[in-house]
Amino acid sequence: MADRYRPDSEPTTRTLLQRVLDTADLRTPRRRRSRRTLAQRTFLESPASKRLSSQTKTTTRRRSHGARSVVRLAHVQANGDLEEQTPRTLLKNILLTAPESSIVMPDSVMKPVEVSKVVQSSRQESSQGSLELQLPELEPSLTLAPGLPAPGKRKQRLRLSVFQQEVNQGLTRSQEPPGNADVSSLTSSLSLTFATPLQPQSVKRPGLARRPLTRRAVDIGALLQGLRDNSLASAPPADIVLEDTQPFSQPLVGCSPSVHHSLPHPSHIGIEDTERAVSHRRQSIGPGQQSHISLPCSELQPQPPEVTEAVGSQEVMEARKSKESSEDEDTSGRPAGPELASSTPDLLKTKQPHQFLEPPSLPPGVAVLSSEPLESMPVRLPPRPRTAGPRHHQDPYKAGLSYYAKLFSFYAKMPMEKKALEIVEKCLDKYFQHLCNDLEVFADHAGRKTVKVEDLELLMRRQGLVTDQISLHVLVERHLPLEYRQLLIPCAFTGNSVFPTQ
Amino acid sequence: MEEVEAEEQQGFSHQQRLKAAVHYTVGCLCNEVASDKEIQFSKQTVAAISELTFRQCEMFAKDLEMFARHAKRNTISTDDVKLLARRSNSLLKYITEKNEEIAQLNLERKAKKKKQAEDANQSSREPAGGE
Repeated sequence: MADRYRPDSEPTTRTLLQRVLDTADLRTPRRRRSRRTLAQRTFLESPASKRLSSQTKTTTRRRSHGARSVVRLAHVQANGDLEEQTPRTLLKNILLTAPESSIVMPDSVMKPVEVSKVVQSSRQESSQGSLELQLPELEPSLTLAPGLPAPGKRKQRLRLSVFQQEVNQGLTRSQEPPGNADVSSLTSSLSLTFATPLQPQSVKRPGLARRPLTRRAVDIGALLQGLRDNSLASAPPADIVLEDTQPFSQPLVGCSPSVHHSLPHPSHIGIEDTERAVSHRRQSIGPGQQSHISLPCSELQPQPPEVTEAVGSQEVMEARKSKESSEDEDTSGRPAGPELASSTPDLLKTKQPHQFLEPPSLPPGVAVLSSEPLESMPVRLPPRPRTAGPRHHQDPYKAGLSYYAKLFSFYAKMPMEKKALEIVEKCLDKYFQHLCNDLEVFADHAGRKTVKVEDLELLMRRQGLVTDQISLHVLVERHLPLEYRQLLIPCAFTGNSVFPTQ
Repeated sequence: MEEVEAEEQQGFSHQQRLKAAVHYTVGCLCNEVASDKEIQFSKQTVAAISELTFRQCEMFAKDLEMFARHAKRNTISTDDVKLLARRSNSLLKYITEKNEEIAQLNLERKAKKKKQAEDANQSSREPAGGE
């Protein structure tokens, strides 16, 4: 170990930790080891106190070295397995293993390393739960080091340094410390260059490990790739030459008239197109979702009153279309189609049990890819700024109405045909759509955007379930499990507090 | 007791009178339709229709009151009526059209009133300014 004189402005790991150890209290959570650790600490502190009295660091270092060399082995052996470590012992290990001067990296880089290690040690202490060395004590030592990285950056390095720590400890445990001090220092200095935070605490504290973010962009990329493959497969070979790499490229000549034709025809043709568009989009997005969508899509057709709503939505579409330039005519034709699909469900169905339109992140991604429409139907949306429309959430249970159909078949006490069950499901779907539509309208009538208990009570009153004799609370008591009663019916508790608050 | 009974009787007779009025109107309408389509309406049919209309009116009234209370209002407004009629699309359309017409009428009336008020003001100012 090279003994070099270091000015006060460049504290090393050792000096910082020494200061920490000096200023920290002599408290340990582990009582049974307190005697041993106390002995060790007093041993260390005697050179430390000597150091404080003297001004030069070199002398202290020599003394501390001397003291440490004697105690080092005792430290390491006394610590036992990794599990029973105290933060103090961890700091000792840092002292033992941290190099005085870096072999590989220059001094300027070593500073943040040392600082990070110090901070990491404090973090480890706090994470371990024994707060004998608290952060405010560390701060004065940290502020001394100039050119500190930003706190955010420090956090990133912290994870690395924790991993380093464990690596170092593992190394020190397995082999003799002095021999491997250089190796560990090498690895420590080298491993800092890693950018990606590996899961450092995976072994010890799995709960605190931060999982890397799952990037959704990748999925979209795969999806776009699939779309491209699909579209390329369906496109005639001659049009490959016309393909642009721009997001809003002009569509194929053959397809454009059909696109235009689809829009001016109102009523049922439009609905069929939307159905197809929706079903196509579903196909492109996920085959698994198709089964859910095909059910409501087929229901769109036999509903004549919904035609007028589709017409209304189409008028909206055309108004929007007229605003766009002629160059984007075809592209507007494309978005009008899916917008139709999106708006008719908006108008008709608000809260659906089944999955619906893609999340807002998808349309821009889809638009980027768009070269030709899928099978002559306008499918892709331009990345228009999506206003906060009604939220289309996926069915969290993914079971749909099969549960209710099963109940139905159970209570029927007779074997039922599959077709009959399907029809029952359709009826139930319509029924729930109706109810939820009512709920939404009621909420809107009261000037609200969220459906509340009052809306539900109004609905039940209209249904005849809630009368002047039977109130909603009575029904809650009768039919819901006991826990919901607590949540729904306001009750007075101690201290004049009512839960749930009204 | 007697007062309550008298009130009940009064209410009952009131209801009867209302029912009779509805029955009469339904009868007139049925006669019109019969003359149009050249189909005869039996008396039971007319009675059934009038009874149905009466009960439906009761339900409408209750629903309207509920809707108004739901919107934290004391008066029934056209929004409540529209909410009630949203089931059948044609009826809803008709009602919204009528609503717009009424709104326009109101605007015109207000404009007229304003004009009149302005004229009155001007005429009062001119003689004042002239002097």
